[in-house]
Amino acid sequence: MSIDLEKISEAITKGQIEQLQEMTTQALDTDTDPGVILNKGLLPGMDKVGQLWREGEMFMPEVLRSAKAMSKAMEILRPRLSEGDLGSAGKMVIGTVAGDLHDIGKDLAGMMFEGAGYEVINIGIDQPNEAFVEAAMKHKPDVLGMSALLTTTMPRMGEVINSLKESGVRDQMAVIIGGAPVTQEFADEIGADLYAPNAGSAVDLTKKYFAQQ
Amino acid sequence: MSTRTNYSIQETPHFQILSENQKERIYNGMVRTLQYTGANVHHEGARELFAKAGCKVDGIRIYFPPEVILNALSTVPPVTEVFPWNGDESKKITIEKDRSYFGPGPTPPNFIDPDTMERRPYLRKDASTVARVCDALPNMGYVQSLGSISDVSNGLADVYEFADMIRNTTTPIMSWSFTRNGCRDIHRMAIAMAGGEEEFKQRPNYIFYGEPISPLVSDFHAIDKCIYCAENRIPQVYSPCAIGGGTVPATHAGQLVVALSESMVGVIASQLISPGTSIIIGGVQSILDMRHSIYSYGAPELSLLSAAHTEVVHYCGLPMYSQSGCTDTKKMDMQSAMEAALSINAAMMSGANFVHDNGYTESGLTGDIFQTVMDDELIAMARVIEGGIEVNEETLAVDVINNVGPGGHYLYEDHTMKWFRKHWQPTLMDRNSYESWKENGEKTMKDRIIEKTRDLIKNYEGPKNSVPEKASQEIEKILKEAEERIKKDPDS
Repeated sequence: MSIDLEKISEAITKGQIEQLQEMTTQALDTDTDPGVILNKGLLPGMDKVGQLWREGEMFMPEVLRSAKAMSKAMEILRPRLSEGDLGSAGKMVIGTVAGDLHDIGKDLAGMMFEGAGYEVINIGIDQPNEAFVEAAMKHKPDVLGMSALLTTTMPRMGEVINSLKESGVRDQMAVIIGGAPVTQEFADEIGADLYAPNAGSAVDLTKKYFAQQ
Repeated sequence: MSTRTNYSIQETPHFQILSENQKERIYNGMVRTLQYTGANVHHEGARELFAKAGCKVDGIRIYFPPEVILNALSTVPPVTEVFPWNGDESKKITIEKDRSYFGPGPTPPNFIDPDTMERRPYLRKDASTVARVCDALPNMGYVQSLGSISDVSNGLADVYEFADMIRNTTTPIMSWSFTRNGCRDIHRMAIAMAGGEEEFKQRPNYIFYGEPISPLVSDFHAIDKCIYCAENRIPQVYSPCAIGGGTVPATHAGQLVVALSESMVGVIASQLISPGTSIIIGGVQSILDMRHSIYSYGAPELSLLSAAHTEVVHYCGLPMYSQSGCTDTKKMDMQSAMEAALSINAAMMSGANFVHDNGYTESGLTGDIFQTVMDDELIAMARVIEGGIEVNEETLAVDVINNVGPGGHYLYEDHTMKWFRKHWQPTLMDRNSYESWKENGEKTMKDRIIEKTRDLIKNYEGPKNSVPEKASQEIEKILKEAEERIKKDPDS
């Protein structure tokens, strides 16, 4: 029995997490090529989500549900995918800097990246500078995301970037920052590659950034 | 002679969102939440305090039994007074039911430059400007800075703000700080302005604002500052920014349950430390806009939630910190006025005690003193409505009506002379005839707001020349010490 890839796309747009996991497993069990599941099932589903979001048909919680479904399906699929299948969807480490317990913005951004097929390692809130550097060294992400809501904790972001430089890994990843008091000027000042004014725009900005590299 | 018997007077309009039963259910929802879900408290000292009072402690999670909540509520004072530092009785604040004070809000990163009208980072000089303009505005009952200073040493925005503001306004300030150290510096400055520690205790001259993190988290500094204020009997606010659908349920009732629970952690801490110390709760209540992922400051839900929250907070016997006069727009336009007008009227009619954010634009990210000036006029208008109608023999004026009879007019009457000045007169609204409007330069509301604001900035001096020299020197000394503190430890 072959699996209906359109149904997979539909489960993504509807945010049906469990059904999608079952369908993904079933597709693999029936020897559907993992790359085909990703490129003909999951990603078209997320493209549709993006389209509906832009048209104002879908709202944020629905997009996040779809993103969650995508990430759960990717957990099943990822070990079976070849390098080439993964395409642009890479790995991200994200966290809130030391002294800051605010997590909703950072979590939203992380979920959006998951929706884009990224493997997201969320290291949590109130993370010391070393934790970011360690996670960067360990996971070798394509993108490192940092968030701060307090003006007092914003400087930690610059410190992390400096530590990444000292560890010699700064150039191996794009650094994206965000949070209510953070601005483009601040991002430029501390040498971040990207600044996202909100969670929704972070993925698009990152995609554009990599396309230009 | 006869008198009216069993006569009830409705002195002010009555506006109600919730029934008694609904309030009770939300209140009970809070009791259930604190008992069974509890709250995280990132402060060992506070956890020990709660444990000693009979709370269950599991790691950083505290579960509050109903009796601990009830005990705390029973010791919050029904009335507390806050005094302007220069003794001006007309600006005295009485924190009690049925009194409302409007003011700006704290800490947006940006500010609308009064000269260029462009958005830029908030600067030190803006704190004095906001303080001075608000000092001149008759409907600003207390003052907040509308920003977080970006051009002083990192971590000292709080103390510089207070140092500059208190010397530019006698209207009581609602201050904030990053840590206990900033909280103490501000307290010391207030003591200097009061003329001594004993004088401050007798006549506190500011209110402190603190904020837990929604949902149900009190971070170390929030609860640490709350404890400091309680120890020193500084009237304080402890209230979250609850984001409907984000940090709290999307249902309004659920939002109120969580928001009330978050504040209650501060109420309990304050009353355990110092029973009878003044505390105000409430906080920003609005929804997460699910299309633009912003916390909406112009949503009608903000007014609905805040009015309902006011009722629940009053049901608890506490004073309410509400909001109004704020907008999601980026520049002064019709939307900013529409949103402000609606929320100011709702806040006024709800009977909230402190109503902040008058002057917030861009969903709370930009402070705008022009918006505050506009709001001042709206508040005055809302107060007229809230003032209700006096009904007695004199105001019924049946004798005067009889004197004038059909077909006459009232313009000459003593009764008119006595009463017409009670009609409200605008300072910004245009009531000119077409001809005089044209003659006076065809000014729009925007023109008039800009003109009035810039005039105040340029010409209104405020109290800065009457600040006692000794107090001012002490404030400078405290600032210097704060610089040394932050140099030694940037996180202090």
